[in-house]
Amino acid sequence: MSDELDEIQAIFFEECAEGLATAEEGLSAMAAGDVSSEVIAGVFRAVHSIKGGSGAFGHAALLAFSHRFENVLDEVRGGKIEPTPEVTKTMLAAFDLLSDHVAAAQGQAGLPNDAEMLAELDRILETKGASAGGAAPAAAAPAPVAAAAPAADEMGFVPVVVELEDFDADPFGFEPVGVSLEDFDAPAPTLGGWIIRFRPSRAAMANGAEPMFVIRELEESGARVIDVDSSALPDLRDLDPEEGYLQWTLSMPAEIEESVIRDCFDFVAPDSVIEIEREAQPEPAPVIEEAPAPIAEAPVVEAAIAETVAATPVAAPAPAAAPKAAAPAAEGKAHEAAQTIRVDLLKLDLLLNLVGELVIRGSILNDRLSPRDQERVELPELARLTREIQDNVMSLRAQPIRQAFSRVPRMLRDLATETGKQVILETTGEMTEVDKGVIEKIGDPLTHMIRNAVDHGVESPAERIAVGKSPEGTIRLSAEQKGARIFVRVSDDGRGINRERVRAKAVEKGIISADAILSNEEIDQLICAPGFSTAETISNISGRGVGMDVVRSNVEALGGRVEIHSTPGEGTTFTMALPLTLAILDGMIVRFAEQRYVLPLANVIEAVRPEAGQVQPMTPTSEVIELRGSYLPVKRLSEMFGLAANDPRDPEDSLVIIVDSEAGNVGLMVDAIDDRREVVIKSLDENLHPIRGIGGATILGDGSIALILDIDALLAGTSHNNTKYAPKGIAA
Amino acid sequence: MTPTNVEAIAAADRKIVTFILGKQVFGIDMKALIEIREWEEPTPLPSVPHFIRGVTNLRGTVVPVVGLSERLGWEPSVLHSRSCILVVNISGKRAGFLVDHVADIIPISDSDIQPAPDVEVGEQGIISGLVQVPNKIQAGDEAATESGTMVLLLDLEALNVTRHLDLAA
Repeated sequence: MSDELDEIQAIFFEECAEGLATAEEGLSAMAAGDVSSEVIAGVFRAVHSIKGGSGAFGHAALLAFSHRFENVLDEVRGGKIEPTPEVTKTMLAAFDLLSDHVAAAQGQAGLPNDAEMLAELDRILETKGASAGGAAPAAAAPAPVAAAAPAADEMGFVPVVVELEDFDADPFGFEPVGVSLEDFDAPAPTLGGWIIRFRPSRAAMANGAEPMFVIRELEESGARVIDVDSSALPDLRDLDPEEGYLQWTLSMPAEIEESVIRDCFDFVAPDSVIEIEREAQPEPAPVIEEAPAPIAEAPVVEAAIAETVAATPVAAPAPAAAPKAAAPAAEGKAHEAAQTIRVDLLKLDLLLNLVGELVIRGSILNDRLSPRDQERVELPELARLTREIQDNVMSLRAQPIRQAFSRVPRMLRDLATETGKQVILETTGEMTEVDKGVIEKIGDPLTHMIRNAVDHGVESPAERIAVGKSPEGTIRLSAEQKGARIFVRVSDDGRGINRERVRAKAVEKGIISADAILSNEEIDQLICAPGFSTAETISNISGRGVGMDVVRSNVEALGGRVEIHSTPGEGTTFTMALPLTLAILDGMIVRFAEQRYVLPLANVIEAVRPEAGQVQPMTPTSEVIELRGSYLPVKRLSEMFGLAANDPRDPEDSLVIIVDSEAGNVGLMVDAIDDRREVVIKSLDENLHPIRGIGGATILGDGSIALILDIDALLAGTSHNNTKYAPKGIAA
Repeated sequence: MTPTNVEAIAAADRKIVTFILGKQVFGIDMKALIEIREWEEPTPLPSVPHFIRGVTNLRGTVVPVVGLSERLGWEPSVLHSRSCILVVNISGKRAGFLVDHVADIIPISDSDIQPAPDVEVGEQGIISGLVQVPNKIQAGDEAATESGTMVLLLDLEALNVTRHLDLAA
């Protein structure tokens, strides 16, 4: 497959993800009782887009399933099937399967077994469809009828059901065109409208003028395809895939300006046949326009070029009636495209870099000007503008956290099925914007937290009833921004943390000693300790004793922290406090060996100016500091970095910064603290390679570079070697 | 970039940037060059090979600065007013090379390039070839003979400046 096609396919999957999110949102709203027509139409459109794209890329299973799903949705949308809770529930389950199908098409999973669901969808179609709307429309039949002659419906029309994927080597390179007649529930065009004939020339095809786009554009102005003339098609063996053989005839409402129609053909090579004329006599109106209501409610009819070829003889007698009129494969994308564009993240990062540089150069310029010049209006104005640009560029990377929340409903449904517990999800703050990098990385912690809440928090329905709670547990998922942090909370109204049991377990596992005195909060925190698990049986949901441990380490790796609040009998709340962006770090700028370094403020506990005798050698190569009666190891950073061997400086002239690391609390000896501020993190490995102990670099106000220390990695490297920082210097 | 001989450029297969390092004249492919910067003391890095002098700020990205002389096994360059940094692109990664000074931009054709004589060089492939150019570079006395000046063409990839540690580790 060519790169270009891969790229287009990648876009398709992105759109699938968006479509799935939209569909799920709509279905959830329906489940919650909102069955308004907009909501239903939104779900329909989303599934419809996925179907359209799946056909184009040859994902047959996805196409077949989405087609069937769409049929049901269509009936619901048309009011033929009542969106009862049972129907909605089935559709949610169908949605889950659809997600699986998309994953399978992406090669991320195996093909799901959809036979049962397909049968269920068919059953809904048959029973509800028939009872509510009379004769089941022909097109509601299972999709892969392909070229089998479909039964004529009561109008005498022959719906043409075509599966494009059966036609692997689509000779035209056209995308399949899914059509839904409901798209045309606008009033039938008045007679005397426009008739447009369009036959793309070979040159137009060579220039990449995709006929479908032109037709789609026309349709957006109200046009309908009333005929496709395929008589010029040669035999397959003579067919030149780059030639244009087809002629489309479209009708367009009379009130549309001719210029609007002309505009649609702007990019089509001039030698294509483009005829635009007023319909002379109103009499031979296309039959379809007189079609009574049932037609308008007819479900989606697949029409495709391939079948048009085969079906020409059949369709010929009533060309105007052939209900096809291509709806855009990615219907609903058009208006979205007007509002958003896809930009490579790398481009944003480059922009961010350049703006950062602009800020720095601005402040250097400011420093070099005389005080009088500095106060000129232009300069502060320039600085303000630059800052504003910087803020805006940063915000470009921000995305609603909804993206991370979107997989939770599905997960909860699966969990509910597995555990037999009943859970309602309440979500708030899903539009809170966070850096894309953060969103990508909180998925796993969030999954564990939700699983933990269902598995350990929420009780079984029987248990809940016994303690006077409603049988359904509630999980609240919320996000809010406070200052430079974003708080993501998962709370349940379950049984809360059983502190006695947690404590006993921790003692049993050797995490704490039997006589340790712990506050309630400290006991709660134990469930995040490595290797801790209180689940009595190892379920496949949680209870392997890794879950909450992973949550904590992932969140801390992001520069965040996890808090747990639990009230026995009432529930537990997990809070992740995360930085708004991964690109910014709250840091303390320290100086040693004439260089400046950044210590992440999250690691810093306190700074101490040692008095004489407070820092003492323990061995010839190691020192300790006495702090309120306990002794902590002290490291001389300049020595660790090999910048000043045998740093002769007296501890009394230095500052000792006590930092919290995985290796425990350690004192780091530096010369001075320069500043405390937010710094923009730049990666070292973009142009070099990662260096162990260095988390990155930042550019200071004067344009020089300061290295950001990765305290955990730095100190982990020294635990067995107290003198020098491990010389290997490479983190994987 | 002021080609004096337009025809020579037209006939040339490529252009090289020549620079002086110690007493040697070196050349790199012009296409790899991003820019030439004034020398600025870079920020030193811990636990890197001695030839990586540190990192510097190139318009918001962090770029390593390599002492090319040390990398090639010569004595470290002595800094002076004409010392400068050649910022180059090595398969997508950027690096700065400290050189004594930049000499010229010379068009050469591939047929002018002689393979480096097979001498014991320690590391294979760093010198990708030799080319003789007319005597107008004045610095490298030893490189210049009556027939012209020897330019050592460097293979930037083979220098392995950004992967060196990975290999060693």
